[in-house]
Amino acid sequence: MRRYFARKLLTYFLTFFVAVTLDWGIPRLMPGDPIAGLLSKFQLQPSSYAVLHSSYTRAFNLGEPLWRQYLDFWRALLHGSLGTSIYAYPDPVTTVIRHAVVFTLALLLPATVLSYLAGNKVGAIAARRKLLDDTVLPFSYVLTATPYQWLALLLAFVLASVAHVFPISGGFSYSLVPTLSWAFLWSLLTHWFLPFVTLFLVGFGGWAIGMRNLIIYELDADYAHFLESLGAPRRLVRKYAYKNARLPQLTGLALSLGTIVGGAVVTEIVFNYPGIGWLVLQAINSEDFFLLQGIFLFIIVGVLLANFVVDVVYVLVDPRTRIGLQEGTR
Amino acid sequence: MSKDTTTTKDDTAAPTEEGNTAPRHELVYFALRNRKLVIGLSIVGLLGLAAIVAPFSARSNPDAFVGPPMQPPSSSYLLGTTYFGQDVYSQLVNGLRQSFLVGIMGGGIAFVVATAVGFTAGYRGGAVDEVLNMLTNVLLVIPTLALLIIVGGYLKGTSIVFEAMFVGATAWPWAARAIRAQTLSLVSRDFVGLARLSGVRSWRIVVGEVAPNMSSYLFLTFILLFGNAILISASYDFLGFGPPGGVSLGSMMNLAFAWNALQLHIWWWFVPPGVAIMGIVGGLYVTNVGLDEVFNPKLRSL
Amino acid sequence: MHKHVKRMTAAVLAASLAAPALAIGGAGASSHATTSFPRSQTLYTSGTAYSPPTNWNPLSIGAYATGTIGLLYEPLFLYDPTTNKTVPWLATSGSWTSPTSFDIKLRSNVTWSDGRPFTAADVAYTVGLAKSSPTVPYANLGQYIADVEQVGRYEVVVNFAKPAYTQWQNFLYGNNATPMLPKHIWSKLPASAVATFANPHPVGTGPMLLDEANAQEVAYKTSTHWWATKDLGLKLEFNYLVDIVNGSNNVELGQVLQGNIDLSNNFLPGISKLVGGISSSYGLQTYYAKAPYMLSANTVWLEPNISKAPMNNVNFRKALAYAVDSKQIASVVYSNIVQPANPTGLLPNLTSYIDRSVVAKSGYSYNTAKAKALLKASGYKGRTITLEVPNGWTDWMAAAQVIVGDLKAVGISARATFPVYNTRVADLTNGTYDLALDNNAGPSTTPWAYYDRVYQLPIQQKQTAQLNWERVNDPASWALVQELGTTPPTSTATLQSVYSQLERRTLQTMPVIPLWYNGAWAQYNTTYWTNWPSAAPTSNHYTPVMWAGWLGQDTTILALAALKPAK
Repeated sequence: MRRYFARKLLTYFLTFFVAVTLDWGIPRLMPGDPIAGLLSKFQLQPSSYAVLHSSYTRAFNLGEPLWRQYLDFWRALLHGSLGTSIYAYPDPVTTVIRHAVVFTLALLLPATVLSYLAGNKVGAIAARRKLLDDTVLPFSYVLTATPYQWLALLLAFVLASVAHVFPISGGFSYSLVPTLSWAFLWSLLTHWFLPFVTLFLVGFGGWAIGMRNLIIYELDADYAHFLESLGAPRRLVRKYAYKNARLPQLTGLALSLGTIVGGAVVTEIVFNYPGIGWLVLQAINSEDFFLLQGIFLFIIVGVLLANFVVDVVYVLVDPRTRIGLQEGTR
Repeated sequence: MSKDTTTTKDDTAAPTEEGNTAPRHELVYFALRNRKLVIGLSIVGLLGLAAIVAPFSARSNPDAFVGPPMQPPSSSYLLGTTYFGQDVYSQLVNGLRQSFLVGIMGGGIAFVVATAVGFTAGYRGGAVDEVLNMLTNVLLVIPTLALLIIVGGYLKGTSIVFEAMFVGATAWPWAARAIRAQTLSLVSRDFVGLARLSGVRSWRIVVGEVAPNMSSYLFLTFILLFGNAILISASYDFLGFGPPGGVSLGSMMNLAFAWNALQLHIWWWFVPPGVAIMGIVGGLYVTNVGLDEVFNPKLRSL
Repeated sequence: MHKHVKRMTAAVLAASLAAPALAIGGAGASSHATTSFPRSQTLYTSGTAYSPPTNWNPLSIGAYATGTIGLLYEPLFLYDPTTNKTVPWLATSGSWTSPTSFDIKLRSNVTWSDGRPFTAADVAYTVGLAKSSPTVPYANLGQYIADVEQVGRYEVVVNFAKPAYTQWQNFLYGNNATPMLPKHIWSKLPASAVATFANPHPVGTGPMLLDEANAQEVAYKTSTHWWATKDLGLKLEFNYLVDIVNGSNNVELGQVLQGNIDLSNNFLPGISKLVGGISSSYGLQTYYAKAPYMLSANTVWLEPNISKAPMNNVNFRKALAYAVDSKQIASVVYSNIVQPANPTGLLPNLTSYIDRSVVAKSGYSYNTAKAKALLKASGYKGRTITLEVPNGWTDWMAAAQVIVGDLKAVGISARATFPVYNTRVADLTNGTYDLALDNNAGPSTTPWAYYDRVYQLPIQQKQTAQLNWERVNDPASWALVQELGTTPPTSTATLQSVYSQLERRTLQTMPVIPLWYNGAWAQYNTTYWTNWPSAAPTSNHYTPVMWAGWLGQDTTILALAALKPAK
């Protein structure tokens, strides 16, 4: 087991290192001077411009040679600082991200976990009942082929714009100030609901199909036939099939995290939901590379953490891995 | 959504052999009988045909202002008009064409990279495999869309080719992993060992012995990559980073959203492009499943 | 799944749902802030802020939060563009006592929100920053001012080294009017921070106080010590003003339609369809009840880069002018909420300065035959030129496509590109673009500011002041502009003759091509507040716009004071 985790951790550290380097590098390789961008908001006389440009460049550490900027970036990172944002100057990047991350997590965690669990359950049931299979399966195909932004637009149109059941935008009502009150919590919930449903539905389709196919495959494996020939009840056979099918599904979960994040980004934009995805677009529009870097890093760390969690769950769920690893095979 | 819904099992289990060695006519017989395959292919085929042929019949310039703005679908404007008074039907079929193009190019590039990486890693093994595996795992973690946004947001005036290249370059990791797993299991077989002994060159073995035995799998992978490329490019265009001047399914949704189609209730502007994407991608997935059943008799049971 | 995995999952899910409340709840609320704004006592506005409010420094132009100038800080005079007159505000009068000295008399009962009195010392300090601080936006005034004297507690005399009528007028009146700063606070700042420090606890003379700010909005509370209540009988009927940071157009339109926003200064595509017909059910109103619905805010120019071929050829530029159909842009892209521009490009408030004979003789209009002829005369070889428009400015992106179509129709090979905003500003600043759309020519009290923007010399390598982006090198016209600066405002005949000359030269050399007037977007929902500005004779004609340069400098504050609760 130790070797298994050691390997995984090594991969993650390497990924982190590569990701941080990419993260630091890409915005800097892009054309455009972010200080000029910041100053373009002010219509300055050339003399004032020169003075302000040099003082901001010094403040943001951009005058240094690239290798020093890279090291400084790592140093600041290890101290927990991601720099100062330009979009919301002079707020530090961590503050801006902190406010947005909670919203995205509130959306992603329940949507991913619930769609995974519900999809698996429904897929498993569909694998054994023909009636359900004929209805659930096509519906799931439709759902998984739906672009997130389109489903978001449709839900926003029907339930918010036409029927006025849910609010069409925002993280919470504009008339409320964030406090721990029931009114505020309720406002959070109603604004959260439609984005959540969007992410849930699309995810659900994929998991249901996956589980259904896996169960069918498992039901046709040798051990399943053997058990049947021994006279074991169908429910027992199905139970084993389900347990075996869970493992590839978990792997699939880890693989699809990147897509889910992408889905969250476009959904947040449609609903103007103030999460990380929406913030990415604001950062791009303000050409704020410190904020972009910070967000990207957060996303990567988040996905790495999620991968790690899935790995842990995988080990907990699969007795073979535990035993196999304890014996030190492979 | 998981792109490899039907093939996740292949990471941990061996592929079946029967489908690859069954006689041709048997395959065709089952293919024609398989409802999913027929339906899926028909939908994709129909939309593909529309993408090729229809732009010639529709009003040639989808950007032309042809009528009164915001008209609902009618006999004169099949899918109504946009906020500006452009023909939605004309935009849809031209957009279909652009989306198909990006999908095929992007999917194709991803396929080429994935097969190159997957075969090399699976066949060579050892250090090469470790390095490629590490590379694949690293790229798998980085969320594609976030990367696309950062790069796309900075570059001016992208073109369809650039978009396809970018989509292709970021979509290959999962396919490479799956191909590697398949290759690994095939490589341990006798016929490959024999070929090696006879001194056949590596790439010959891969192309001549390994690939044909995985041909169905490769085909399925390509289909999934194609569908995936369409979805990614639709998100990319939706965010406004697509090539200016052209019309794509994603850009139609982008414009509809930006020009208040939600509030002004111009639903005919954003609903058709989404339905078209669902049709293509859904059709591809269903085709994928159908083909899987044709190649793998075990799945034909239900 | 294992039981404890299930339980853990449930716990995590529950926590994640409550997380936003916990995280923001602690952070955002301040000790005196209100927890919710009673709807009938609050005015909700949007359309000004595109990033979270973090700065209340009136010198941080472009970065300060909505309301900084107007609700918190106030200038000496207001400007009314509909009557083209100034309104004494913190000053009671201002006049030239000699060609080089300007006398300002101030109000005597104005206090800062911390209780200290507003006096001549504050005015002298603020004006004096032009000389002492190179980073203030009006630092170029420093070269003209000799000194500023305080004459008693409520009077200031500004002495000039040389006549600078237009530069001084730009400082006092109109959209660049500078508000007065509290000397007792500002003089304590280090010199480098004067124009950039965030000022999170602002102290101003205005009608409101900062109440609360978070990523979504900024909220102000009405002050009971505003001088204008006693002096001018003005009172804000609402207790809170909440300005919302903008998401996207459709979000804001939805909010307006649902009655969650009272005043929206967003560009809302389709609004003309909702005003007038359905207006009664939605309660929506605009300044004009029919086209163009909105007051004009600034002139949109098709700006050619004159330092590059083929834009350096005057016939080519004229061909551009005749090729574009502004009427089509106004109707197709904007559904007629903008109007095509006068060939001189001067905004409607300056109509009295337009010399009709000049326009009749040298003006242009949409005429493809003439465009083709001029194109031929220019010797255009067919090089493809690009028209740059910031990505995300949807109306300009659509207009750019129309323009490119018009140019192609007369034989010019053109293409539209949509770089991100900052890249586009960089291209314009560095002079690497071909064609661009520019709307920096905002409202002003005289045409001087317009021509100053067009002909500014010398041309720097980086045009950071955003003046003369088209890089036209015309010393004769620039000399005329400078002559305006040295001619007293009372010599109207001389001034008008200079304006006529400038108008003529501009039409004959076409350094910029005025296309249409962008609107002062303003949509009001009348459910909670009424008596909004409109063109009707029974309404007030104040400006209904909260944008920087308008709220505090034009008559928007008067419009806000005129609002009444709907019954």
